[in-house]
Amino acid sequence: MVNEDVPAKPLIIWLGTNTCAGDMLSLLNAKDPGYQELISSIAELRFDYLLGASEGSDAINVLDDLQKNHKAAYILVVEGSIPTRSNGLYSVIGYRNGKAWTALQAVRELGAEARYVVAAGTCAAFGGIYAAAPNPSKCVSLQAVLDRKVINVPGCPINPEWMMGTLNHLIQYGEPALDDYSRPKLFYGETIHNLCQRRDYFDNSIFAAKPGEPWCMYKIGCKGPVTYADCPVRQWNGEHLSWPVKANTPCIGCASPEFPDGDVPFFEHLPDIKLPGIKVTANRVGLLTGVVTALGIGAHLMGSILTGRLAETLKKDLPGGSKLKIRPRLKKGHK
Amino acid sequence: MNWKKQRHSGTARLLHWVYAPAVLALILSGLYIHSPSRAFGFKRMDSARKTHAVAQFLLLNSYVARICYGMKDKNYKEIIPNRKTLKAMPKFLKYEFFLSEKKKEYPKYNPGQKILITSLAGLIPVQIITGMALYFKPLQRAVKTAGGLNPVRWLHYLAALMMVSSVSVHLYFTLTNSLKKLKSIFTGYA
Ligand code: SF4
Repeated sequence: MVNEDVPAKPLIIWLGTNTCAGDMLSLLNAKDPGYQELISSIAELRFDYLLGASEGSDAINVLDDLQKNHKAAYILVVEGSIPTRSNGLYSVIGYRNGKAWTALQAVRELGAEARYVVAAGTCAAFGGIYAAAPNPSKCVSLQAVLDRKVINVPGCPINPEWMMGTLNHLIQYGEPALDDYSRPKLFYGETIHNLCQRRDYFDNSIFAAKPGEPWCMYKIGCKGPVTYADCPVRQWNGEHLSWPVKANTPCIGCASPEFPDGDVPFFEHLPDIKLPGIKVTANRVGLLTGVVTALGIGAHLMGSILTGRLAETLKKDLPGGSKLKIRPRLKKGHK
Repeated sequence: MNWKKQRHSGTARLLHWVYAPAVLALILSGLYIHSPSRAFGFKRMDSARKTHAVAQFLLLNSYVARICYGMKDKNYKEIIPNRKTLKAMPKFLKYEFFLSEKKKEYPKYNPGQKILITSLAGLIPVQIITGMALYFKPLQRAVKTAGGLNPVRWLHYLAALMMVSSVSVHLYFTLTNSLKKLKSIFTGYA
């Protein structure tokens, strides 16, 4: 006898908070298994904020049912960062008992009962674009509002295979091995730079001077050396056709925890330093340090020459230095 | 028999001549890695990276050895600034800013040297930790609080700039302050 309360397939809730919907749209490009296979034979996508046919209370009732009747049986996927200002009113999932049900409340309530919680995209994983300065809605990452483990699958947007692979791993084998940022090592175990097809150009210092050139993008700010993701081997566009460097643009580090504030400008090697009221580039800081050091040394050298200190040192320490003629000192008192 | 007082022991000199060229090589290769230009003496990134990798191990080992030697011989007391150093600072600065002509003799290092050497010694671990984190993924845990590898890259760059500055000042003073003391880092005796 089949128990109708126990679902045959694992359940998935895909919740959208402050998001551009890029991650869900990206998932639709998954191949092997594709989206159709995911929803028809691998799992049951019970709720999807973007593709769901129902709306209003019909849709919210599905979430209510999952939370009450399927504890620890569903995977909660959250796409987007969580606004915390005004008790989270900057992102409302729907209405419950006539009251706004904020994303903040929803992820806390649904997250508490989920078997696994997955952050889809950099916004959910680390705050991302919505948490970028000035962050008017005070957006934070999913992990910042939950006191349970969140599996982070960052990327702006996610590569469809990163999410499909993580979901399948969770369903078939349980939690995948995670790194220090709670990202599956399977997809984020190596830097883009170490996997890049243009690594030879890098090693031989053959650099592109502007986007569009077919050389290493390092000199125009490629963040491949500081970004962990397998874009060069997995590639994008569903059919695994291309990725930013292959399309002759630098990697902008979209899967990194500091994206975007911590790695802009994208076309510069190092991010700008932001102090209250001013923004300084790394090269300016370098130049300034060099100029200050040179000026300091130069001024001291000039002082040592003018006061006769340098000549005195030479006279005292050089072999035969006593025969050196020392210039009279400038100051009267300097004898 | 040499009656002159020894200024630098053989061990101190040996270690100095391991880490001094290593720091120089790290600065030049590091600047090339930051902004590839032939002005830094490299033609290929690969050679700059290899130089950086070899020099970092030389620096790491000689730095650790120098710390051990400093602890064993207690000569770290000659280097690390203490309360006396701070007290002596105003007079030292007056002389260095040409406001006084009285040159004071210090037991071994003057307050400026002490601060310079100690800050160099403090910058090296920053470079080792940030450099290793940029190189080995498992070591990123140590710098997670920095917020990611981009800020770590910045820290590495900033500390490198400070090192370039400190090394330049150190070289300037050793070449102009006392040639006898300069000689002692080669011969041991001033
Ligand atoms: S294009 Fe970017 S990721 Fe590829 S080798 Fe150059 S710097 Fe590294």
